[in-house]
Amino acid sequence: MSTLIVIDQPPYGTWAGREALDMAFSLAAFDQPVSLLFTGAGVNWLRKLQQTSEIEQKSVEKNLSAAPIFGVEALYADADACTRYGLRLEDMVAGVAMSESNSELLHQYTHTAFAG
Amino acid sequence: MTPIHTLHILNKPPEHPRSVACMNALRPGDALLLTENAVLALAVQGDTAVSIPVYALAPDFVARGLDQSPDRAALVDFPAMVDLTAQAQNVISW
Amino acid sequence: MAAIQLQNYTLVITGAPYSSQAPQTALSFARAAITAGHTLDRVFLYGDGVHLASALSAPPSDETHWPDEWAGFLKDNAIPGVACIASALRRGVVNEPEQKRYELPASNLLDPFVIAGLGEWVEGTMTSSRVIYFHAGG
Repeated sequence: MSTLIVIDQPPYGTWAGREALDMAFSLAAFDQPVSLLFTGAGVNWLRKLQQTSEIEQKSVEKNLSAAPIFGVEALYADADACTRYGLRLEDMVAGVAMSESNSELLHQYTHTAFAG
Repeated sequence: MTPIHTLHILNKPPEHPRSVACMNALRPGDALLLTENAVLALAVQGDTAVSIPVYALAPDFVARGLDQSPDRAALVDFPAMVDLTAQAQNVISW
Repeated sequence: MAAIQLQNYTLVITGAPYSSQAPQTALSFARAAITAGHTLDRVFLYGDGVHLASALSAPPSDETHWPDEWAGFLKDNAIPGVACIASALRRGVVNEPEQKRYELPASNLLDPFVIAGLGEWVEGTMTSSRVIYFHAGG
């Protein structure tokens, strides 16, 4: 079984993305194949230089950069959403791959989960 | 009984970003099940028909005061929803 | 019609009672699955879904008491109900050991729900033939 965790909500305003990330790390900790797809407003998770001290939340940038080390197989970003939010590969954390078709990507996984 | 590759279960109203994403992810061989607020898609006038089988959860449909016989979806009950999830190879809850 | 193959389901509820329809949809689904002869491996509450495991919900008497309905269903069918510990502690759903550990004034975990880590969800995805998510509708 291979799992795709989908994050389609932007960071900080809600907890859903954070909890989706925990799901991905948890699967990886149990050596289960897992990848992450950031799509829609969710691509804003991937932006570099997030400075969160004044909103009193932990930045997820470090977690995301560590995802490959923890065994998350791939970080995908929806290409159209990245264009929409002005995100180029160099604006994003390392290790992101562009997804040109979410429909194709979704059909490659046997298990798909949104956090909420 | 046609095998279903992916059963898409959608519970968001038509304007929700995830509804739009779901509609864009449908592929031949899939099926779409509308539950909760997603059944409202059947009330939207002139909405283009989807080319895969579409089902709508009857309790949610009637709860929202919609017409008893939608022409774009087959009404199903919870036992039929369970059957759909058992038949489908994969299930995605949007 | 060909016979439906019996499945072993893990249900994941992420929508809270009284702010989403998720607990009702999930319970109707769970009852229909059991009636059809399928098995439920476990029910996992995640995110806002953990509010379903609060023993302190007190809805008006003419409204369905979703935590009690769910607790009764899980007991009657001997199905494990697990609330994610990280989600639960953040949202104030606490069992007695956690109450002591964090020196909190009360515990409120509804029997038969238990609190455990996301590993319980991972295990569900590994042992079940189907994992179905019940999110808030928006």
